[in-house]
Amino acid sequence: MLISRLWLQKFFDKPLPDAQALADALTLHAFEIESVKAEILDVKVTANRGHDCLSHRGIAKELSAILNITLAKDPLLKKEAAAFKKAQNLNVSIENPILCSRYIAVRITGVKVGQSPDWLRIHLESVGQKSINNVVDAANFVMLNIGQPMHVFDASKLTAKDGRLHIGIRNAKANEKIETLDGKTYSLTDSNLTIVDRNSNAILAIAGIKGGKSAEVGETTTDVILESANFDGIAVRKASQALKLRTDASIRFEQILSPVLAEFGMHDCVELILKIAGGEAEGFVDEYSEKQKDRAVSITTSEVNRTLGTEFKERGIADTFTRLGFPFELNNGTFAVTPPFERLDLNIPADLTEEIGRIAGYQKIAEVALPIFPKAVDINKNFYTAEHVREKLISIGYSEVYTSIFSDKGERAVINKVGGERPYLRSSLLDGLTEAVEKNARNKDILGVQEVKLFEIGSIWDAGKEEIVVGIAGEHEEPSELPLSKYSLELSEPKSYEDYPISKTESYRSFARFPFIVRDIALWVPVITEANQVEKVIKDNAGGLIIRLELFDRFEKGSKVSFAFRLVFQSAERTLTDDEANTIMENIYAAAKKKGWEVR
Amino acid sequence: MQRGHLHPISSLIREANAIFYKMGFTIAEGPLLESEWYNFDALNVPTDHPARDMQDTFYIKDEPGYVLRTHTSGVQIRYMTEQMKKGILPPYRIIAPGKCFRNEATDITHEAEFFQIEGLAVGEDISLAHLKGTFAGFFSEIFKGQVDIRFRPSYFPFTEPSIEVDMRLTSKTAPEKLRDKWIEIGGAGMIHPKVLENCGVDSKKYQGYAFGPGLDRIAMLKWGIDDIRLMHSADLRFINQF
Repeated sequence: MLISRLWLQKFFDKPLPDAQALADALTLHAFEIESVKAEILDVKVTANRGHDCLSHRGIAKELSAILNITLAKDPLLKKEAAAFKKAQNLNVSIENPILCSRYIAVRITGVKVGQSPDWLRIHLESVGQKSINNVVDAANFVMLNIGQPMHVFDASKLTAKDGRLHIGIRNAKANEKIETLDGKTYSLTDSNLTIVDRNSNAILAIAGIKGGKSAEVGETTTDVILESANFDGIAVRKASQALKLRTDASIRFEQILSPVLAEFGMHDCVELILKIAGGEAEGFVDEYSEKQKDRAVSITTSEVNRTLGTEFKERGIADTFTRLGFPFELNNGTFAVTPPFERLDLNIPADLTEEIGRIAGYQKIAEVALPIFPKAVDINKNFYTAEHVREKLISIGYSEVYTSIFSDKGERAVINKVGGERPYLRSSLLDGLTEAVEKNARNKDILGVQEVKLFEIGSIWDAGKEEIVVGIAGEHEEPSELPLSKYSLELSEPKSYEDYPISKTESYRSFARFPFIVRDIALWVPVITEANQVEKVIKDNAGGLIIRLELFDRFEKGSKVSFAFRLVFQSAERTLTDDEANTIMENIYAAAKKKGWEVR
Repeated sequence: MQRGHLHPISSLIREANAIFYKMGFTIAEGPLLESEWYNFDALNVPTDHPARDMQDTFYIKDEPGYVLRTHTSGVQIRYMTEQMKKGILPPYRIIAPGKCFRNEATDITHEAEFFQIEGLAVGEDISLAHLKGTFAGFFSEIFKGQVDIRFRPSYFPFTEPSIEVDMRLTSKTAPEKLRDKWIEIGGAGMIHPKVLENCGVDSKKYQGYAFGPGLDRIAMLKWGIDDIRLMHSADLRFINQF
């Protein structure tokens, strides 16, 4: 989510530190930051904080607690559910309050739709939003400011009955269609919640996701209906997935919002529209049957310190709660905290411990070694056996591989593999191992091995069960596999793990993936000539592309000896041609002849 | 006879086990084909949690309620439940290295099959400070030198508080690419009380930490491996370097 530092500044009297400093503060105390570009931070709000932090106010509130600077203007504190004047000419009917726990609507008449003032346009554009017109921008601004998605309908597009408009919230019927604001048409199902004009039964919007074209606010609009509602997060997420339509609104509803937030959204949005587009609010409808209740969560100082391994004092904890704006009562060392309405994530004592840990700073936690374990440590027989088998096989020249558990045949399959290839769970290691032997055998010359021999210890699904087996395969043997448990039976009950060697390699070097070319050369040289002298001449004349040089044959005849070498050429950048290899070989032949050696 | 080569992941698990064994941890196991109870429900992952979506989790044909495990965390549940059934109360200390699965397209840093190392320590007073100590001890041995550990806030349904762990190698012998930089090494936290209760462990009396860094990532950092897909490549041009 994009957050503008200049926008955040609106919540504070004191000047905020620069964007990078804000990013650092958030990283260590709240959320990961994907990027910082000039005054814009890309904040990765965690899934438990979508209730309250997908907005500038949410991030400002966090910064206020972290940096201990007062939030001078908190839009969620300013009004105590200010009295809504009841509308005379507008009705709202919610079919299922579980899917829509609250719906506030207001009719505003006499608005003048036009361009947004510069400050509004600049704020929206700074976080990647397009300015549409003053009324729509006001709704968008409120969402980005406090996190409550809003929607505006052109009231003149609704059908009046006895002078009254009637908004309905109901599930769509199968095959009902809607053309959305972006001109796309969606076929709905009965699991899609919709906003409808009850008098005409026309669908006006997909609830919490996107508005329809039919009641779009445009230049000629003068009367609007403004919506501030609360829709069920799970239903919105499922509908948004099914329709493949994710919007700024749906992303917020998916995270589950407090129904209390809707009234703040409504107040802020009406105020802003009247200010920048004029008009008159004719009264509100607020359908809100199941009210959110306050809850208390309690914790003691010693519980906090026991979990975090810290030595926080009561005063420090009280200070942290105050910085976070949590009302609390302190009785005999127990803090009874009433979380703010928007903090739906705070439900158990551990939730408060986390708040204290992250705001006070996890850097206050010391590194403490675990106490001595008071019991004997069990030896895991399967792991012990696997290690024994590994060592045994490696000692006789087998190398260990891990291959994919997915196969083109088997007893069981996954239903949703990306791409759909090899959906089965393997019933044997041998196909994978055989394939690996063949693949590696082609690289034998650059690997410099006589014979490719592999093993894998891994799970298979056969005869209705999952089992760990040991499979071995090589170029000159029938591949075979045995359950690990068979090896286990042969071993006596271990008392401790064996001290087998770990890799001594310091660092890995990436290998060239282009094809290599192999050439052999055999030379008659005087019998007093050593192999390494010949090797040096070859190397010195082979250029930079030789990656392996190996003596594979030597025999004497009279005063002469024959050395046969295998040369492997490879480039890290391209596929070598035969001509290139031939040229290199010609150079080597020429150098050999100069030495008086005879090429066989 | 020329010796064969040990896969780097196996080498890392062998080394990890040796380090954790000294600290009192035993190896625990669980199946790769896991029930949703162990993989999600018991870990306090709600039924409608996005992590359960089809695009992230491999579901098994004709076996509703079963998945290829998306993390090693289910082993926590298996181990604690089993101990409680046997009447063995905490303290518990386990590590669970093993293969996990994520239904995603692969690239040089993403692989549908990957390795994780789960860790869990439960007792009456096991705290986040012990977690910091455990990580500092483990990573300074793996990376052969002084390591700083840093916690950042995070979120997992099965831990509260949840943290992301960063390390910083400070010794002069550390590879230059890694030296003096904070590097993310994985998620961790204090086991959520509901998770303990789901295993029958009294969450008022006992508490503990859990962690689950990716082994592929640690191996990639340790040896400078540039492509996670090499782990399952069965390519000796890779394996023979270890």
